[in-house]
Amino acid sequence: MEANSQETSVKNIQIDGLVVLRIIKHCEEDSGGPELVQGVLLGLVVGDTLEITNCFPFPRTNETSDFDEVQYQMDMMRSLRHVNIDHLHVGWYQSSNHGNFINRAFLDSQFSYQSAIEESIVLIFDPIKTSQGYLSLKAYRLTPKMMEMYKAKHFSYESVKKEGLAFNDIYEEVPIRVKNSPLINMLLLKLKKENPIPEKVEYLNLSHSSSLERQLHLMMSSVDEVTQEGGKFVQYQRSAAKQHQNKLLHVQRRQTENAARTQRGEPPLPEEDASKLFKPVPQPPRIDALLAAGQVSAYCDKVCHYSSQTLGRIFMAQALDNKD
Amino acid sequence: MSSSKFYAAESSSDTEDSSSSDDDETPVTTSRSKPTTQRVYLLSDDEVETQRVVRSGKEKRWEGLQDIIKLMQNARKIRDMSRLADEFDNLCKLYVKSKNVILKEGIPRFYTRNLVETEDYINELWQDKEFRKKTSKLNSKALGSIRQKLRKYLRDFETQVADYRANPDVDEKPGEGADQDDSDEESEGEKETVQDIDTFLSSPIRSAPVVDPKAQYDDDDDDDDSWLNDSDSFTDESDEGEAGGKQLTADYFLKKVKDDGGEKAKKKDRQRDTKSKKKDEDWEEVKRVGKAKVTLFDKDTEITHVVVLKKLSEIILNRGRRSTVRKEQVDLLKQLRQVAEDNDLGPAMAIRITFDLVSAYFDYNSKILDCMKSEPWNDVLQFVEEVLDSLEEHPDIAIGENISQESENVADKAAGYRLNGSPVVMVEKLHSEYIKILQNSDAHSTEYVKHLREESRVINIINKLRRHVERIGSSQNICNTYMLMVEYVYYKYDHKAVLQDVVPGDKVESTESQETSSDVMKNLCQYIYTKDSSDRLRTRAILHHIYHHCLHDRWYEARDLMLMSHLQETIHFSDVPTQIIYNRTMVQLGLCAFRRGLMKEAHNALVDIQSTGRAKELLAQGLLLQRQGERISPEQEKVEKRRQIPFHMHINLELLECVYLVSAMLLEIPYVAAHEFDARRRMISKQFHHQLRVSERQSLLGPPDNMREHVVAAAKALKMGDFRACLRFVINDKMNNKVWNLFNNKEGVVKMLETKIKEESLCTYLFTYSQFYDNISLDWFASMFELDRASCHRIISRLIINEELSASWDEPSSSLVLHRTDPTRLQNMAIQLGEKVSTLVDINERILEARAGGGGFQNYRQDQGYQGNRYQGNRGTGNYSSNRSGGYQGNRGSGYQGQRSGYQGNRGGGGYHGGYGDSYGGYRKDGYKAR
Repeated sequence: MEANSQETSVKNIQIDGLVVLRIIKHCEEDSGGPELVQGVLLGLVVGDTLEITNCFPFPRTNETSDFDEVQYQMDMMRSLRHVNIDHLHVGWYQSSNHGNFINRAFLDSQFSYQSAIEESIVLIFDPIKTSQGYLSLKAYRLTPKMMEMYKAKHFSYESVKKEGLAFNDIYEEVPIRVKNSPLINMLLLKLKKENPIPEKVEYLNLSHSSSLERQLHLMMSSVDEVTQEGGKFVQYQRSAAKQHQNKLLHVQRRQTENAARTQRGEPPLPEEDASKLFKPVPQPPRIDALLAAGQVSAYCDKVCHYSSQTLGRIFMAQALDNKD
Repeated sequence: MSSSKFYAAESSSDTEDSSSSDDDETPVTTSRSKPTTQRVYLLSDDEVETQRVVRSGKEKRWEGLQDIIKLMQNARKIRDMSRLADEFDNLCKLYVKSKNVILKEGIPRFYTRNLVETEDYINELWQDKEFRKKTSKLNSKALGSIRQKLRKYLRDFETQVADYRANPDVDEKPGEGADQDDSDEESEGEKETVQDIDTFLSSPIRSAPVVDPKAQYDDDDDDDDSWLNDSDSFTDESDEGEAGGKQLTADYFLKKVKDDGGEKAKKKDRQRDTKSKKKDEDWEEVKRVGKAKVTLFDKDTEITHVVVLKKLSEIILNRGRRSTVRKEQVDLLKQLRQVAEDNDLGPAMAIRITFDLVSAYFDYNSKILDCMKSEPWNDVLQFVEEVLDSLEEHPDIAIGENISQESENVADKAAGYRLNGSPVVMVEKLHSEYIKILQNSDAHSTEYVKHLREESRVINIINKLRRHVERIGSSQNICNTYMLMVEYVYYKYDHKAVLQDVVPGDKVESTESQETSSDVMKNLCQYIYTKDSSDRLRTRAILHHIYHHCLHDRWYEARDLMLMSHLQETIHFSDVPTQIIYNRTMVQLGLCAFRRGLMKEAHNALVDIQSTGRAKELLAQGLLLQRQGERISPEQEKVEKRRQIPFHMHINLELLECVYLVSAMLLEIPYVAAHEFDARRRMISKQFHHQLRVSERQSLLGPPDNMREHVVAAAKALKMGDFRACLRFVINDKMNNKVWNLFNNKEGVVKMLETKIKEESLCTYLFTYSQFYDNISLDWFASMFELDRASCHRIISRLIINEELSASWDEPSSSLVLHRTDPTRLQNMAIQLGEKVSTLVDINERILEARAGGGGFQNYRQDQGYQGNRYQGNRGTGNYSSNRSGGYQGNRGSGYQGQRSGYQGNRGGGGYHGGYGDSYGGYRKDGYKAR
């Protein structure tokens, strides 16, 4: 294992077909409700490629049972090792509907992964989209900037500004490639030959609106969140400005008083307490706003992508229609 | 003063001096000046009023001192030394407290006397070795200590004491005399009558028979000052020696009887010279003997105006005292009245006494919440009637509040009777008492009905009063009287008035002869509008008038009056009862609008009352003991109780709520259907929505039971455009019983409701399902909603004109062609999103403003694109509907719908959506056609 200390050690990701299938299976089986499913990715780093060769799911647990996840992971990895499968922890995966994954919990767990194992990534899998015929599997990781920020645990306005962190700098996508072993490819070819895919394919599914509606819905709630954060910030600004003014006034008053006192020959009053008197107004953490903004932009990308595809299909359908 | 001298000469026999008389105003320097008690003053003549006020501080002190002195006397009597010592200490303390007054007024005579008496008493006891031996240790100890104390204390008063000892009697005479003058019949009266002939001119020192203190107590227990005097005299007796205390009763009464016989003759002679003998008369007046029987005058007293007046003022002055037994007062006044009548003292005197009698009746109950019992109430009614009758009979009697008590003239007919008092105020009081009686009786009992029957009597009285004030009253008095009349008229439904409205031209002659309540209201109120100087009365008159209009379905008159009065703006500054009237009026307005089928107006009028959920309280038709989770305080409760409207004037709350809900339903359901996807949709009626939500929350929905459930079920049916079900829910036997039967013209209301529901369900149907139609024939509408074609045409045309429905008529085929303009869900969401984003932009701008001082990005945005401004502009303009058709919609309109008819198409006027819309619209047309 040639763990590279450089941040950009992993440039692309190679995923085994097995992993993809297992994730899909897990999601299909488990996504009974709106809850997310999660699991652990196993693999190894080869040069600048992260190869993900296996995975296993976290069992679904309810809040009350005292299930030890860490212990479970260790046991699982040990067992895998016994059967001589790659057992190095390289990240985790998570299902997400319409890409609504950018939130605090995501950030927290990805940070803990990435700080423990540098090359960790997270695979986001969208079961809904996949069921419509597109495999939606994306690999993400936090940007180094974000890592720094998160380490400092301080998301003040100043620090964000200093780092120059914008909402699109929170995470980065890593290109992925699904690779099957030649043996599997051969098997697939064989299977195709034996059971040819039926000719009729629904390429031009035009029922786009329900999915789009849902995405818009999600987007709206995210926009609301951003608005809320904005409101908080305005509030903060206002109170901070007021505070500042009060402080200035206080200092000024103290100065004039001291001047008067020295004139009268009295000892001047101490100047210490201005900052103590006026405790700085607690800043609203910017991270939430950043996350929300990031989420909005992710939605936008998705909607954009989705609708351009849909429009393409519509035009195609029109063309076909005209032909008839 | 002369009078007191007169008495001083005559009857100084009593040793008491603690109470004294008017001559206290004489300078203080003389030792004989003695302060007086308030009570004595109360009994004296007219000037009392002013003096009492001025001297109240001093009198209070004196009273306190006297109280303690009394206690000391008691203690002396029972030889309770420790008590005596305590009271003495108290006395000294109070004396120090009263120093200011004493400095001004001199040391009160009774104080000195008390000191002297106490000293004597203690010395005597001290000498009495046997007593000291016999008594308890505690007592003898106290005796010793008080002796010491008193000795020390007396050093400060040496001169006064010496003075007093020098002439104890002389000083007392004036005070004594005056005292008797004032309190003649109270405590001394009996003795005096017994003796006065004998002692009239004889020796100043009276050998009065000693009265048993207990007997005296019994006699005068209803009177404070008599009590005080009693106790004074009673101490005197104790001074004289307790032995004498028992010698009395039989003797005393015997004597009296005998004397009475003798007196009679003399009295008869004197009957003519009343004026000059005034004082004597006073002497002769004897109150009661014993508790059981109360007599006002001695049998042989000559009854004159003056005597009676004097008596009257005496009785009146006792009013309001704690110890006054109100019942007795009433009895006394009744007797007095009878006496006056028997002696033929003229109508003015009768009125005068009756006035006071009535007010004594009103004082009958100490608690403000309690009402009169039916017996006194009947008496009062009768008396008031009599007063008004006799006022009518004797138009020469001038009566008014402006006539002062001094200038009253009840005796001299030639000079014209003048009386102080206001019959208007009296009747007003009667009215409020009547209301109180109604409030206090159970609304579902026969008792209530019985009381209600008395209403005609009250109205009769008011009518009499009206005749009276119309003859002589000031305009304000007339206003007040009219207002009283209005109070009894306004809430009553008059069939005749309605008939008159319905057929105005028909049989005018017959209706003219009998005045309907509308005419009455009109006349009365108009007088008040023009003549009233107090805003309150006018406000109430207006409200009552509106109420009356509403009751008789004269909606436009009522509404105009309400709008002209501008009461909506000012009502919050008026008093609570007026606000209650306002609430009642608004409710009636709403009900009236409902009956006339004006749902919107009905809803608007009722929403304020209904939305709070406290209609009961706002209309003063019952107490809500809980307000926002906490109980109201008892005081609050009392206040509220007094404001309650009598039951027979109540407005049925269930009817009210039902009318509100139905009107809300008829407004809300089409509105909801029309604006299903609107982000800015507003609730018309919160309460209605609440009811809907409540029913939605129920997991199992049974058939509707109560009124609310019926309305909710009807609303649901209406939502589906199922007017038959809706009608079934709104109008059925249950609802008829609960609600609709309460209307006067039930048939009319039900019919109105039917058409309303049909119309609104037609609208709702169109809003909800128009997207599934290309065109609909008018006949089909007519058959589906059981409406005639004309009204269908009317309703749909209205929708089209109001741009609520994008459709047009195809006249030749008489069918409605629908234009698809309703945005899809997705489009609606896009619109919503756009709005959300624009608020986000606003917020962002605010942040930037603060940072960059208002420059920067905004300008940038203005240069960059006009979108933001356009949004803003559109959002800002006009009312809701125009907004809707502006902005986004408008653009969409031009985009999607090229063929949209004339004025609609013009509206769009380009925009950034236009281009996109065009292609989109094109696609839609073609695409769907293909399918």
